[in-house]
Amino acid sequence: MKVEIICRDVALATALALLPIAARAAEPRAVRGQETSGKVSPGDAQKGKVVFEALGCNKCHGSEGEGVSAAGQSGGVPRIASTSLALPVFIQLVRKPKNLMPPFGTDKASDSDLADVYAFLQSLKLPAKQESTATVNPSNGQRLFVRDGCYECHGYLGQGSTSTGGTRLGPPRIPLSGFVSYVREPTGQMPPYTAKVISNEDLSEIYNFLKTVPPPPPLKSIAILNQ
Amino acid sequence: MAKQNNNGIPRRDFLRNAAAGAAALATVPGATAKLPPPERGTIPPPPMLPAAEVETPSRAEVLTAERTGSDFMVDVIKSLGIEYVCSNPGSSFRGLHESVINYGGNKNPEFITCLHEESSVGMAHGYAKIEGKPLLVFAHGTVGLQHASMAVYNAYCDYVPVIVIGGNIIDATKRMPPVEWAHSVQDAAAMLRDYTKWDDLPISLPQFAESAVRAYKIAMTPPMMPVVLIADGELQENPIPSDAKLSIPSLALATPPQGDSAAVAEAARMLAAAENPVLIVDRAARTAAGMPLLVELAETLQAPVVDMGGRMNFPTRHPLNQTWRARDEISNADVILGLELADFWGAIHSYRDQMERTSRPLTKPGTKLISISSTGLFFKSNYQNFQRYPEVDLDMAADAQATISSLIEAVKKQLPTGRKSVLQDRGARLAAAHEQTLQNAREAATYAWDASPISTARMCAELWAQIKDEDWSLVSTIQFVSRWPMKLWNFNKYYQFIGASGGYGIGYGAPSAVGAALANKKHGRISVNIQCDGDLMYAPGVLWTAAHHRIPLLTIMHNNRAYHQEVMQVQIMADRHSRGVDRARIGTTIDDPGIDYAKLAQGLGMYAEGPVTDPKELGPAIRRALDVVKRGEPALVDVHTQPR
Repeated sequence: MKVEIICRDVALATALALLPIAARAAEPRAVRGQETSGKVSPGDAQKGKVVFEALGCNKCHGSEGEGVSAAGQSGGVPRIASTSLALPVFIQLVRKPKNLMPPFGTDKASDSDLADVYAFLQSLKLPAKQESTATVNPSNGQRLFVRDGCYECHGYLGQGSTSTGGTRLGPPRIPLSGFVSYVREPTGQMPPYTAKVISNEDLSEIYNFLKTVPPPPPLKSIAILNQ
Repeated sequence: MAKQNNNGIPRRDFLRNAAAGAAALATVPGATAKLPPPERGTIPPPPMLPAAEVETPSRAEVLTAERTGSDFMVDVIKSLGIEYVCSNPGSSFRGLHESVINYGGNKNPEFITCLHEESSVGMAHGYAKIEGKPLLVFAHGTVGLQHASMAVYNAYCDYVPVIVIGGNIIDATKRMPPVEWAHSVQDAAAMLRDYTKWDDLPISLPQFAESAVRAYKIAMTPPMMPVVLIADGELQENPIPSDAKLSIPSLALATPPQGDSAAVAEAARMLAAAENPVLIVDRAARTAAGMPLLVELAETLQAPVVDMGGRMNFPTRHPLNQTWRARDEISNADVILGLELADFWGAIHSYRDQMERTSRPLTKPGTKLISISSTGLFFKSNYQNFQRYPEVDLDMAADAQATISSLIEAVKKQLPTGRKSVLQDRGARLAAAHEQTLQNAREAATYAWDASPISTARMCAELWAQIKDEDWSLVSTIQFVSRWPMKLWNFNKYYQFIGASGGYGIGYGAPSAVGAALANKKHGRISVNIQCDGDLMYAPGVLWTAAHHRIPLLTIMHNNRAYHQEVMQVQIMADRHSRGVDRARIGTTIDDPGIDYAKLAQGLGMYAEGPVTDPKELGPAIRRALDVVKRGEPALVDVHTQPR
């Protein structure tokens, strides 16, 4: 007899839907350019890289903190490499994010840890422009997306599902490096895809396919969704 | 299922219990009364029958009886107001079968022909959740109950009353070989005892009457569950003795247990004093009267409601419905009231299924937990559907719906007059959040709007557009279509949703939908079933039952061509073992060849069309099928869908 196992609870499903979505932690203009307060000692960039990855920051913001904009839809994650935020403000935002980013309390990271992360971010150079995946083949990416089972939880166009816990992927709202990082070591329910299972090149192709997913029609244009 | 061939030879010696009317027939002790020789052309007995089967009886026989035990059993069944018997026919209850259709006039109860016992019980399951009372299932005590067992388990886990009568031949000397031996059992109810509330084996008609009334009463007393009666074949078929003194006990249903008054007062004090109380409801509304009570409780407290969906508890468009913001509200709560919550622990924890399975509480430290649930009044050990132990602070073993009225009154007394503005502010915040959640859901539904296979959001939106102005009732589960109906549709009547299977046993969907539609039929409602493909194929014959009995039901196939949950489960294992996932479809998909559900349904006598693959064609297809349903017949539209 076959027994159906559904997502274990609504709360979990909701959480899974949110996990890979980092906050658009908008940088308040008033704090741009401010110096650190000095209350927290300057951090160690090398340690900061370790903490950055241990906390999973790279899974949304990208391994170089590059972030991504998400044209035509809500979401996306801000670039945090070479952040212009002052350290106290940076810590405050990490402790109490303003949007979808999960909060990181002192139980997860001390002020000293965050100072190290801050130092690591300051050590990163601003990318000249967002990474390009123009050389890869979107139709092959679509094939891989199905072959490797991404569609099973995320839908054939990466639209996501609260029943499976698969978050919406298309168009992507995180940078490629974050996408790869999350696929390798997911923090939620998603099974990990090792390099033995799927190469970085294939992930790039899948990512490129997701970038070609057309934005949805405007909600106002669909009468039956407004009833 | 094998059916016996009695070849014209009476199975039982009626002389032993001859009715008064039969006494006038001449009997000569010790004499041999021969049956007339077979007429020319009569089919001879098959050679495999034992000699005893073809021998003539040793004395004159009474071959007919006007009133038998099964007639009285039907009197008892009628006294309980049972409308239908769902059954796949079987010889061990042939007496009851015949009495229902002839003696009882095939009305109250009416015999509903089912093609599988799992369908019979599944129909009873769905019917009870709409009508609020059980119908009857007849089944063989052996092979029938074995077929029925999975569906009985679902009803047990879902706290639904079902009355099953299993036929059996208890006296071994009366069993006709070979089939009746294979179809007889010492303790027929044993196989169901772990997941039924009560069973009995009455050995007389007076006992049958008492047991049947008792069974009904037990099944209907919260926590409601299936019950089983075993009806002996001899008891069914023997004539009622002339001196029999038979009566049917009156039925007075037990009032559902209310929470202790002191505990209710304490719960009210905690809720009234809470800064952020949260109500989590599951099977809280036991009847239609439960919904307005839950609304009144929530509005009195201006508290968010998280609906786990075991029943139709709370209107989906009510501003206090915060189901889709469950995590936010639960993590912010200082007091949580769980009402008939099947899995309190699961509702307040997240769970992660990786190599090391981990969990963590969603609640903040110090959050007080209150439970009101009748499930605490009845436990069994073997099957583990009782879920993980929740560490609650106040536990009322009581029926939630029966307790809510007194809880509302107690809360009103406890609420400080100065908190009116606090409550208003809380309500305003929740209303704004509810509106935003609805908009977010609509926005999310636009993704993959024009995709083929068709997105589940598009399918549910197209369906809603067609039924929203009808008196509709969704008689299927929603978790396999991302719960889009609960996000997009306006549910505000109790019969518009019936929850899920309870035991997560696949094969529940189609029969429960047909059973619920049977209940909805007399109310003139449009029953709508979003039907999973894998579920239907467990016992698709139930579609024929819908066609045969003219049960109006609109079925929209969620045809994702897979046991999709299992695709994902195998994928998890393949990823965990780093072996790739491209073979995860082996053994989990229902494709190559794809099943043509329209043709299947047409072959079973229904209107059907599809598969629909273009989303633009879906609305018109649903409209055509709906026209058929409005004429009082079932119809099916096959839709090629995205996985979830």
